[in-house]
Amino acid sequence: MIDSINHCTPRWLGMAVAFGLAALIMIYLSYSLPRLLPGDFVISMYSSSQVTLTSEQETELRDYYMEDPGFFKYALRLAHLDWGYSYAFLMPVSALFFSALPWTLLLLGTAHILSMFIGFVSGVEVAWRRDSWLEKGMVSTMTILEGVPEISTGVVLLVLFALHLEWFPASGATTAYAELSFWTKLIDIGYHLALPLLTLILAYFPGNFLLARNSMVMVIKKPYIMTAKAKGLPDRRIRYAHAARNALLPLVTRFGLRLAFIITGALVVERIFSYPGLGTLLFNAIKARDLPLIQSVVLVSSLMVLAIILCLEIIYRIIDPRVVYEH
Amino acid sequence: MNIRFKKGLFRDRWFTVGFFLAVFFAALTLFGPALSPFDPWDMSFEPISPPTADHILGVNDGGQDIFSELLYAIRNTVVFGLISGLVALGLGVLIGIVAGWSGGLIDIILMRISDVFLAVPVIMVLILIAALFRPAPLFLALILAGFMWPTISKTIRAQTLSTREAPHIRAAQQMGGSSWYIIHRHLMPEIFPLYLIGFAAKCRMAVFMEASLAFLGLFDPSRKSLGMMISYAIKYYYLDIWWNWLLPPIACLSLLIMTVTFLAISLEKVLDPRLKDTLKESTA
Repeated sequence: MIDSINHCTPRWLGMAVAFGLAALIMIYLSYSLPRLLPGDFVISMYSSSQVTLTSEQETELRDYYMEDPGFFKYALRLAHLDWGYSYAFLMPVSALFFSALPWTLLLLGTAHILSMFIGFVSGVEVAWRRDSWLEKGMVSTMTILEGVPEISTGVVLLVLFALHLEWFPASGATTAYAELSFWTKLIDIGYHLALPLLTLILAYFPGNFLLARNSMVMVIKKPYIMTAKAKGLPDRRIRYAHAARNALLPLVTRFGLRLAFIITGALVVERIFSYPGLGTLLFNAIKARDLPLIQSVVLVSSLMVLAIILCLEIIYRIIDPRVVYEH
Repeated sequence: MNIRFKKGLFRDRWFTVGFFLAVFFAALTLFGPALSPFDPWDMSFEPISPPTADHILGVNDGGQDIFSELLYAIRNTVVFGLISGLVALGLGVLIGIVAGWSGGLIDIILMRISDVFLAVPVIMVLILIAALFRPAPLFLALILAGFMWPTISKTIRAQTLSTREAPHIRAAQQMGGSSWYIIHRHLMPEIFPLYLIGFAAKCRMAVFMEASLAFLGLFDPSRKSLGMMISYAIKYYYLDIWWNWLLPPIACLSLLIMTVTFLAISLEKVLDPRLKDTLKESTA
């Protein structure tokens, strides 16, 4: 027991150090890259944006950016939510960020939980019925779906269900200017959420399904499943209490690897459905070349992503008491 | 392992489909400029006109021939994916073999570094750099590769560690073979299948990233790209142009990503030594 603790503590620390370093790299990049821009910082940052600055604003900005605060002070400012001022939206960057964040969390959170759940359960069930027509059909369909990117699904769903059939709204997260009671408002939000959510689920679910199925197929062959069968346990109990618990692990570990696809997809889907989350904010910032806004959204959302993966690493250690860590 | 895998691969239906699609896209990439009937930057045609015999897919809002645009866009996307995938593969193999072969402190340091790179959300770095400096696509492809190598190097390292202990490698060492000789004569050919798996997976990621970045408008607007064609076409959805302007780039992008996905999945299934016995034929 003591031996195993000695064994796993440095690993855990190693992960935390890796994530801390990654966070530092992101903060340092967002601190140093804008300073590498050629010429006057304020001119290069704002000349190509779609706003004209008054001379007063310009000196103010120059004061803000020209004094090199040093990396430490920059990080401190970041922690105080002092992220600069967006001149395209005429608002503090932090206010814009926090008004967009809930929508992204709602969309991504729901999409993840649902696709994880559906993918896992269907993967387990299909693996149990090995070599049936159901398994072959499902695996083929999911392999094909895995090859369809969010851009394509999103645009097809938008054109079909929002523009031709007009079943769902084509943009936004709520009906603008509508005075609604609490419950109708919830329904309205769900109604607007449907298409982007479906796009994301169609994008995430095949990967989860294939992973769950593959690891379940391997788990089923283990001798302890045979033992459980020999004891005469009911099928469902073997499937979920014995086998699926171990098949769940790769789903959590591979999350980090799929992450690059996940964030990119979320940005694209929000843009397609003009969903007012961070992706659309970032897109508008790019279009207006509002560099302070781009810089902060990129930095803060990457820090949040890092925190989420670190949490998952910890959860992984909880659901897998064996703490086998292979490289 | 090295000689027999070709036969095993073509027995997998996904690989066959992926392979022929890959040949198709390779042909389009190589001969695209020769096949395109017009210069894709020529803006002299009637804007937003439906398909005719001259313009197979019609003309876009800027007066450019859509079919020629599509051919150049496929070429750009494929080249971006290949360059990024190749560089990531090179870095991953080099670092993986060095770490696995030398072991000790070098191994620990290299693996910790790859943990750090694995954690950084690469799309965010790309967006930041693309928005600030508007660099050439090649530069972005290289940066993407600079963040994609860790997964490859981890698998290569793991395989190097186990192959290092194999009898024939030991024998070669006993006979006085140098590290370099053993690595390039024995080790590298032996883990060759792993290169293919890593390469296909990274190409898939790179194509996906390129399309998304272009869709978000982070590339030079005059560079033809599937993502950018989609983002322009979707602005005119109300004009009933979806089947000749919006659909072709969407279909091509999906087919392209499907190609690399099929190849990646079937290569992993057939060649990955860890999955060998468990995932054989029944997945077809």
